Amino acid sequence: MFVSTRTLSRRWSLLALALLGSFPLLASGQNTLSQRIDQMIAASIPELAKKAAPPASDAEFLRRVTLDLTGTIPTTSETRAFLTDRSPGKRQRLIERLLASPEFARHQATLLDVMLMERRPDKHVPRAAWQEYLYQALAQNRPWDALARELLSTDGSDPKNRVAAKFFLEREAEPNLVTRDIARLFLGMNLQCAQCHDHPIVPDYKQDQYYGIYAFLTRVSLFSDPKSKTTMLAEKAEGEATFQSVFDKTKTTRTTGPRVPGRPLLKEPKLTKDAEYKVKPAKNVRPVPAFSRLALLGSEIARPDNVPFQRNFANRLWAQMMGRGLVHPLDMDHTDNPPAHPALLTMLAQEAVTQKFDIRHFLHDLALTQTYQRSSELPSGMQEPAPFLVAQLKPLLPEELAASLYQATGMTDIERTALGKKVAEATLHARVSAATAPLVNVFRSEAGTPEDFQPTLDQALQLTNGNLLRSWLNPRTGNLIDRLTKLKDAGALADEMYLSILTRYPTADERQDLANYLQKPGKDRVAACQDYAWALLTSAEFRFNH
Amino acid sequence: METCRYACLSGEHSLSRRGFLGGMAAGVASLAGLATPALGKQLEKDQKHVLMIYLSGGVSQLETWDPKPGTPTGGPFRAISTSVPGIQICELLPHTARQMHHLALVRGLNTAENEHGRGSYIMHTGRRQEPAMKYPHLGSVMSKVLGAEHTGLPGYVHISPGGGGGFNKQDAAFLGPRYASVTLGNGKPPENLLRPQGMTDQAEHDRNDLQDRVNQRFARSRRTAETEAYTHSFEQAKQMMARKHLFEVEREPTRIQERYGKHDFGRHCLLARRLIESGATFVKVSHSNYDTHYENFEYHIEQLGEFDQTFATLLDDLHQRGLLKHTLVTVVSEFGRTPTINRNYGRDHWSKAWSIALAGAGIKGGTAVGKTNATGTAVTDREVNGGHVFHTYFRALGLSSTRNFYIDERPIPMADPKAAPITEVLA
Repeated sequence: MFVSTRTLSRRWSLLALALLGSFPLLASGQNTLSQRIDQMIAASIPELAKKAAPPASDAEFLRRVTLDLTGTIPTTSETRAFLTDRSPGKRQRLIERLLASPEFARHQATLLDVMLMERRPDKHVPRAAWQEYLYQALAQNRPWDALARELLSTDGSDPKNRVAAKFFLEREAEPNLVTRDIARLFLGMNLQCAQCHDHPIVPDYKQDQYYGIYAFLTRVSLFSDPKSKTTMLAEKAEGEATFQSVFDKTKTTRTTGPRVPGRPLLKEPKLTKDAEYKVKPAKNVRPVPAFSRLALLGSEIARPDNVPFQRNFANRLWAQMMGRGLVHPLDMDHTDNPPAHPALLTMLAQEAVTQKFDIRHFLHDLALTQTYQRSSELPSGMQEPAPFLVAQLKPLLPEELAASLYQATGMTDIERTALGKKVAEATLHARVSAATAPLVNVFRSEAGTPEDFQPTLDQALQLTNGNLLRSWLNPRTGNLIDRLTKLKDAGALADEMYLSILTRYPTADERQDLANYLQKPGKDRVAACQDYAWALLTSAEFRFNH
Repeated sequence: METCRYACLSGEHSLSRRGFLGGMAAGVASLAGLATPALGKQLEKDQKHVLMIYLSGGVSQLETWDPKPGTPTGGPFRAISTSVPGIQICELLPHTARQMHHLALVRGLNTAENEHGRGSYIMHTGRRQEPAMKYPHLGSVMSKVLGAEHTGLPGYVHISPGGGGGFNKQDAAFLGPRYASVTLGNGKPPENLLRPQGMTDQAEHDRNDLQDRVNQRFARSRRTAETEAYTHSFEQAKQMMARKHLFEVEREPTRIQERYGKHDFGRHCLLARRLIESGATFVKVSHSNYDTHYENFEYHIEQLGEFDQTFATLLDDLHQRGLLKHTLVTVVSEFGRTPTINRNYGRDHWSKAWSIALAGAGIKGGTAVGKTNATGTAVTDREVNGGHVFHTYFRALGLSSTRNFYIDERPIPMADPKAAPITEVLA
């Protein structure tokens, strides 16, 4: 039933089997990571069982986990099947099926793209190649540390892996920008203030830490290769990171060698002047130093034993699933801003190493926790969502919102039918993203800024009066409005509408409300269904993952 | 129906949301003036506005605010007396000269940036460009600090001479997209403002009502600041849709339209006045194009011929309606033009010594501060840069100019800490 809507290729089935084997149940007596997470949380909150929200319903869980792991709401038939299934262990099976799907690799690649590139324009490396690179990395389940090392040490001179240099290239190799973003995105430390002085209110963040990373980059610049007409990085053999504090009245200039926060100074070979270069700088020639600092940046940052790197991995994946980082904001990990549960983050950071920075494995274990699977409805007496006790509402990423609107209106079903036997994840994804791109553009963050939920007037006007959603709500063979208007029974219509849009059955009140609306004088059935579907699609319940 | 002003709302404070929707269905859409009617009176009294006239391309200071007649750099035009004894401006601005008592001239600007994009950045943000930091436009800043959310209109409106419209998130930088600018290309209303063709009042009311019910059910157990912000964005959309007539300047009496001038800039300034009168926080009107590398004098006759009467009318109209005392007006460019006249009778980019004009809220009319030398090539007294101008804006609006914004925990000064207000022009 599930497989009929999302055809798994043979290769994927094999990978799925391989991955299922990678989440072994431990021998009895040992607790899984999921259980240990729940135990640590329970130990830190007295009477947790009394205070916490009950487990999410099947419908709530299905919508939540499908969005979190594949970036869209489930199809109507998936929903019906899951809600009908009475067999034990169906939630774990669902999690593992989703994690093994190509949709997971695609969605996680999108999340990484948005995090790493922050919607920067694709000036140097084409978008499609980059997305494919990330997709393959996720599909092959490459560990995060290996991927990070590649992203942070590729100079782009080899056409075979030039795409991996995108992180540097789209930032024009500007050393301050790259320093800032490496610290934020790979170490969870926003050192930007430390560019000009020690952080005034965060004692942990020092100017020499900033310039320690900067020292890896100060010799690097963008180089346009005259032959291939492509840009790549060039590195010189000289140039030091020197800095003054703007607060220092004596204007003392300090210098630091390359050093990643928490790590010792990088050991550099002493080279004589004539042995400094493999290729000497000259006009239109890309210099190649005998000793490259850049080549070691990735392995210094993304060392398995680098604690900030571990914590950043654990914290960001936690935030992805739970809606808020244990450390919040995600890039403010320092002593004065302790995690919501310090021991838990320490444990998760160590576990990331044990699991070899396996993104799938980590998400699997988070998804299986009771903490993840709690309802998002506030228990009586709770005024606002308390951490760990109730599931947090997560605004959908623009891509998630667009793909979910396309799915809910039945437009994705039409694409599937049109592709027929040729339906494959990559083809379908290409079609859905082309059709929904204008919507993503209205909702996405501005280039160079992290994705942040700020509902705006233009977004609301787009959903209210824009052509796109309106056209998806015009009846077309196989789409939602077409299916609904063919249903004679008002109850069946209500079920189909709610299952397709909100991934749940309507309540008795909601069923009655819809039945009344269909009877409204002067309103034909198509218009009534369109009005109702529009209201559900633009509701807060749809806009959030809950 | 005439578009409603704030005052209309005083009797409507008790309007419930449902009542408002019911009202819309009955066709009295313009009652829906404000986001939170309870705030209406307070805002009516306190609401400040900013109007930026942007003379795109770089207007010549010598043909406007700082003439140097009879010098090698002065060009062919005379200087004329104004309504303020002792202050003379170029003869190309005869109507504006009669409004001089409202204006304060800043004649000692040195922004040290001769490139259009970077000069424009300085005059929009009060900062020079930095690689890892983008500052928000004045319009975005004002839309945040003056509380534009409560006006039911976008906080930062840019009326551009032509081309497309749309929302520009980059202008808001770290303040976030809710403070983005919306461009009204050639004064046209924002995209998707008008409801789809064929949809009736009743249908619109019905589906809004449904959406409202669905949201209320969800909010019973899952209301957060974010869900509220989301539903509020639709509320804003409804309010904007109800005020679509604001954009129809042809509703103004012919006499008014003629005073403003029956050309694009005239219509755009009239639209700006309508928006400000209806509570808009920040409106920028661009007038193009002053980038006169060739035939500087011919082009300034033409361009300023449009600008002068329209701008003078706008000032006078704002004053007559009691709006000028609440509205800070600023006339800027990305830079001025070279005193040296080039071989094509043009003037090139010049940022070392140029002028801007201010008026309205918090500004001491009839003043001129800063001096340039006899040929206008250098500032000789009271030199200021874009940072000083920004401090001045804040102070003119009654705001401290040394406050910070915060990105997470990081303080970002609202105006360049190295600069200070130009107190001589402050009332």
